[in-house]
Amino acid sequence: MNKTYVTIVSFLSIGAFLVLLFGFSWTIQNQLSKEKSTVREQPQVEEIVNEKEGKTIVALGDSLTRGTGDEEGKGYIGYLVEELEEKTDEKLTLHNYGVKGYRSEQLLNQVKGDTIQNQIKDADVIIMTIGGNDLFQGGQTLVSPKQDEISLLKDQYVRNLKETMELIKSINQDAVIFLVGLYNPFIDLEDAATTTAVVRDWNYSTNLLLDQYPNTVFVPTFDLFQLKVNDYLFSDKFHPNSKGYQLIAERVASLITW
Amino acid sequence: MTEITLSIKGLRKRIGKREIIKGLDFELKSGEVFGFLGPNGAGKTTTIRMLVGLIRPTAGSIHVCGYDVKRDFVKAMSHLGCIVENPELYPYLTGMENLQHFSRMIPDFDSKHLEYVVKLVRLQDRINDPVKTYSLGMRQRLGIAQALLGRPKVLILDEPTNGLDPMGIREMREFIRFLAEKEGLTVLVSSHLLSEIQLMCDRVAVISKGRVIKVDTVSNLLNFQEQLVWKVTPVEKGRKLLQTATSVILDEEKQLVTPLSENSSVWNRMLVENGVEVHEIQRKVPTLEDLFLELTGGESVE
Amino acid sequence: MNKLIHNEMLKIIRKRKLIVVIAIMAVLISLFTYAQFREVQRQIEKLGDVDWRTTLQQQIVDTQNRLTSSGISDEWKAQLQIRVQQQQYYLDNNINPAEPGAPTFVRSFAQESITLFVPLLIMIVAADIVSSERSAGTVKLLLTRPVKRWKILLSKYVALLLSISIIVVLMGLLAYVISGVVFGFGGWKAPILTGFTSIGGELNTSHVQLIDQWQYILMEFGLVWFVAIVVGTLSFMLSVLLKSTSASMGVMLAALIAGLILSNLVSSWQSAKYLFMINLDLTGYLAGSSPPVPGMTLLFSIGVLAVWAVIALFVSFSVFVRQDVY
Repeated sequence: MNKTYVTIVSFLSIGAFLVLLFGFSWTIQNQLSKEKSTVREQPQVEEIVNEKEGKTIVALGDSLTRGTGDEEGKGYIGYLVEELEEKTDEKLTLHNYGVKGYRSEQLLNQVKGDTIQNQIKDADVIIMTIGGNDLFQGGQTLVSPKQDEISLLKDQYVRNLKETMELIKSINQDAVIFLVGLYNPFIDLEDAATTTAVVRDWNYSTNLLLDQYPNTVFVPTFDLFQLKVNDYLFSDKFHPNSKGYQLIAERVASLITW
Repeated sequence: MTEITLSIKGLRKRIGKREIIKGLDFELKSGEVFGFLGPNGAGKTTTIRMLVGLIRPTAGSIHVCGYDVKRDFVKAMSHLGCIVENPELYPYLTGMENLQHFSRMIPDFDSKHLEYVVKLVRLQDRINDPVKTYSLGMRQRLGIAQALLGRPKVLILDEPTNGLDPMGIREMREFIRFLAEKEGLTVLVSSHLLSEIQLMCDRVAVISKGRVIKVDTVSNLLNFQEQLVWKVTPVEKGRKLLQTATSVILDEEKQLVTPLSENSSVWNRMLVENGVEVHEIQRKVPTLEDLFLELTGGESVE
Repeated sequence: MNKLIHNEMLKIIRKRKLIVVIAIMAVLISLFTYAQFREVQRQIEKLGDVDWRTTLQQQIVDTQNRLTSSGISDEWKAQLQIRVQQQQYYLDNNINPAEPGAPTFVRSFAQESITLFVPLLIMIVAADIVSSERSAGTVKLLLTRPVKRWKILLSKYVALLLSISIIVVLMGLLAYVISGVVFGFGGWKAPILTGFTSIGGELNTSHVQLIDQWQYILMEFGLVWFVAIVVGTLSFMLSVLLKSTSASMGVMLAALIAGLILSNLVSSWQSAKYLFMINLDLTGYLAGSSPPVPGMTLLFSIGVLAVWAVIALFVSFSVFVRQDVY
């Protein structure tokens, strides 16, 4: 009885051995032959028709959208959703695609992706923060501002933003777009006059561009951080802290109507 | 019928710088029980392990039924069965599975022999129980059964009675005699107990510190060694009288010790006639220690 | 020889080694299935819908964010970068890298378990295959049979190979059955991409192939099996060299864990790529993650592992055949 048991296990093991040996040699053979790529563009399968239920918010942009600096990790998007949920009974779905350090050019690339476009198509509200990294480049630009450099950066930024906006609008005409403007985190430092002028000019250009599109709102934040900037900034003196994010969220929330 | 089945020539083993076995020579014949006697640490186990191929000798040769253990390992081993130290079998297998396990390692094994061996060691009733439930005596018997599986001509048993109760020791003894006399096997038994060797062996090799001190028949060895102990008063007078006839030693208990002899009655009469009172005459079987003292001329057993 | 192998299989089975291994696998696989199930639930809660594109896009964004955080090691950064590019490639080609279902679970389970879990299971069988005979004293009975020593050792090795094979296959079956109950049994024909390579931290997709998931799983298990054999062979050698089973297990375990730690550190230490424990993650090549030391390829790793195994076998046999047994 036991002998046959051992024999059965042994034969099963031999079978297992052969199967695995085959798998292994296939892998080797496959690796050795190094065929050329066999992947052709897959035809887009069925368009995903999301059963729309409630409202969809798509958040795009940089670290502010991500919430860098918020001790609670929510960012203004998090606080915003909380406030909106209090105001409405509808089910809210949030897609946050913010990536720390994104500049306008990277945002544009991201928006070119199929999946993001699918989400944008379904969105009721699109909220963006962009441009901060284009301008400040991690705080370098404004240490030694040179007028011609800045205007070069701004031109690029406006060009990218324009393309992004047009892309979004071509996908979804109905969604309301909110673009959160820049504040001046260096307003307490020397040279405040210069930096403030640069930020205001930047915001002005953004606003000017957005005016060309319907259903598009520029949300200023400059004034929020104007007086007590250090109370609202994270220890890196660049990103907002929880309080700062809450201020932004309140302002955006008050603008959203369904 | 007296062919030589196991022969050992110039066997040496060196471990590191220490030479543990310093040249052994002896031969075993079929049908005899050969004792391998020595205190612990004399090199018995090392020698046995060399005989069964577990340890490679540094020099010398071992032949089992004419086959060199080193060069013709397989042929030599097919004529040899052994238990080295305790019979360690697989505790999680049954007795039968253990035997089947070892029988599968013997070329052209006839499964009828398996039943015969089980009967021979009288384990029929418990053979299908796991070995972990066996008593030491049963394990010892199962150990012998596995050693007999390959129909060996030479059987090597290392301390076969170790840990057995008196009953078990007696059974083992009778069984070993049976194997030698009825089955014609050569049995090599190692032991550190003289009494044991005395009761079951025909010949014995005494080994100490890696050397064979003596190879002889058991009866010769013991006759040569047995002594008489005399309790007499006055001691001094008795000693002088006995010295005229034989060699006398005065031991610590003020007793006189002489070799065993057929003349002891004559000596006794002589003592009595000369006014020495003889309280007690005792025949003393020497201990292994005594034997060694005698054979090695006072070298201690350690 | 067949009879000798039968003996060794008998001992492995009766020592309940296989049962123990199967029990461990069943428990852990159930655990992972549950964890995976909770993860899916969380995704549904968080994102509202479960379209894989949304999930994947979210994963890309999450990874990108991790990439930018400071204090992240260069090795890890390279890994993440490759991962993002790969995920993006899947997205661009409209292929779901994680088609829901048991086969996907089996695939990712094999990938996760190749560096530690499978080697550990194999050690349970391999580490005591010789040393247990030694510590129990049965080796004396085994080696005084009319059988050459190398044959005895070979029969043990073959029995080990057979046990490894059945353990690896059983792992696949168990993972399939257990996860299938939760995620469903379909998905064998789902498309999977393989053949990614990374050159200087950039994803190279020129050799990418699209294959069915069942093909991918077969290849993957072939690699898992190979790693298991190499680890088994090394444990086997330790089992011959060391008298105590726990010592050989300890040495092997230390080596495996050192390998895991080193894999994340050694990108600048070129010669580390010749250590066997750095090369264990063979399925990583199939999936296209970046290797621990730049320039390592699947064939290189297989070669290194094979050399280690051959040396271990050579040492095992030459020691075992000559060794004095006390």
